[in-house]
Amino acid sequence: MSNSLWRYVKNVQAMGFKQYIRAMWYIGDAKHGKLMGEDQFGNKYYENLNPEQETPGRQRWIDFTQHDFNASQVPPEWHAWLNHIRKDPPSSDFHLIQASRPKWIGPWRENLTGTRGAFKTYSTTKPKFFPWEPKVGQRGGPSASA
Amino acid sequence: MSLSPVRAIVLRRLAAPRVLPVRAFSSAPFRAAEQSTAKPSTSPHKVETDGASRSASSLKDLGPGAAPLYQSPYAGGPSALDKAADLFFFTEIVKGMWITLENMFRPPYTIMYPFEKGPISPRFRGEHALRRYSNGEERCIACKLCEAICPALAITIESEAREDGSRRTTRYDIDMTKCIYCGLCQEACPVDAIVETSNYEYSTETREELLYNKEKLLANGDRMEPEIAANIMADHVYR
Repeated sequence: MSNSLWRYVKNVQAMGFKQYIRAMWYIGDAKHGKLMGEDQFGNKYYENLNPEQETPGRQRWIDFTQHDFNASQVPPEWHAWLNHIRKDPPSSDFHLIQASRPKWIGPWRENLTGTRGAFKTYSTTKPKFFPWEPKVGQRGGPSASA
Repeated sequence: MSLSPVRAIVLRRLAAPRVLPVRAFSSAPFRAAEQSTAKPSTSPHKVETDGASRSASSLKDLGPGAAPLYQSPYAGGPSALDKAADLFFFTEIVKGMWITLENMFRPPYTIMYPFEKGPISPRFRGEHALRRYSNGEERCIACKLCEAICPALAITIESEAREDGSRRTTRYDIDMTKCIYCGLCQEACPVDAIVETSNYEYSTETREELLYNKEKLLANGDRMEPEIAANIMADHVYR
């Protein structure tokens, strides 16, 4: 007998009923792991490296804070962790800490396509072509008098 | 015999001599040595592959103490009663349904995007960004090497002298619908200004949103600088 049913029951027990309902509502599996941190939006990041409990490749996951969740709601520090680029979460990642937070850094925004905040392109240069503006010459000029 | 059929099957299976499969033994020389010591048999379960050992065993079969030349192919298998028990007690169906039940609780191998994501490299070539120096000065010096190398002709640059006399771009447009994500712009850049970030979640509903201008590219860089810097640092030893 495999340990799958046992894992499921144990995870439900460890998570508690409320968290289990939430997991089934969003992720669709009773996943239980260590809370690695939380970002500025309130998304929670979990990890479970035990290969008996989680399939390799599914060891890191996110619990979105918004009901209308979207993959682009992950800020770049955690994006690197969630995509398995960085081994450590940002709180203990030296290079991400060292590189993070220059003064000019901008706030993270999710992909706003389909909303009024969607990017609309424009030209960043001064226009080089202008519409023709007709100018009427003076009547009764020197040619008229001749 | 007062044994129930199922019990009879179990006892029979336990009592049956375990025949090691031929493939359990690895290579040819040891195979030959092993077979020469083994008792010759003509049962259909025995599989022989190389001709030398076959001829040797067939010569032995002709000897006086050999097994009879014909043996029923059903000799080693389950009896008719066992098979009937298997059939009428739905043994195989129960086994199959048990596997189905197990898999209902087994986590699938599918990665549940966007909650979980597949691993990507620090060299991943995704959405473009223009970077700044740590003091906030933009890196791009309008050398137009990226525009020159771009095989899809997706980049358009116009430059002018700024008020302080330094050469800067006034237009840096990338048509993301033309871009083939080859990463040549990133490799051509002498100041690490144009980079391809590891963000690939920027799909849009309209085509116009993918015509990026300089402001959009700089904003991308401003937002993703920690990740970009960490990716470049992870990869700099290979460059």
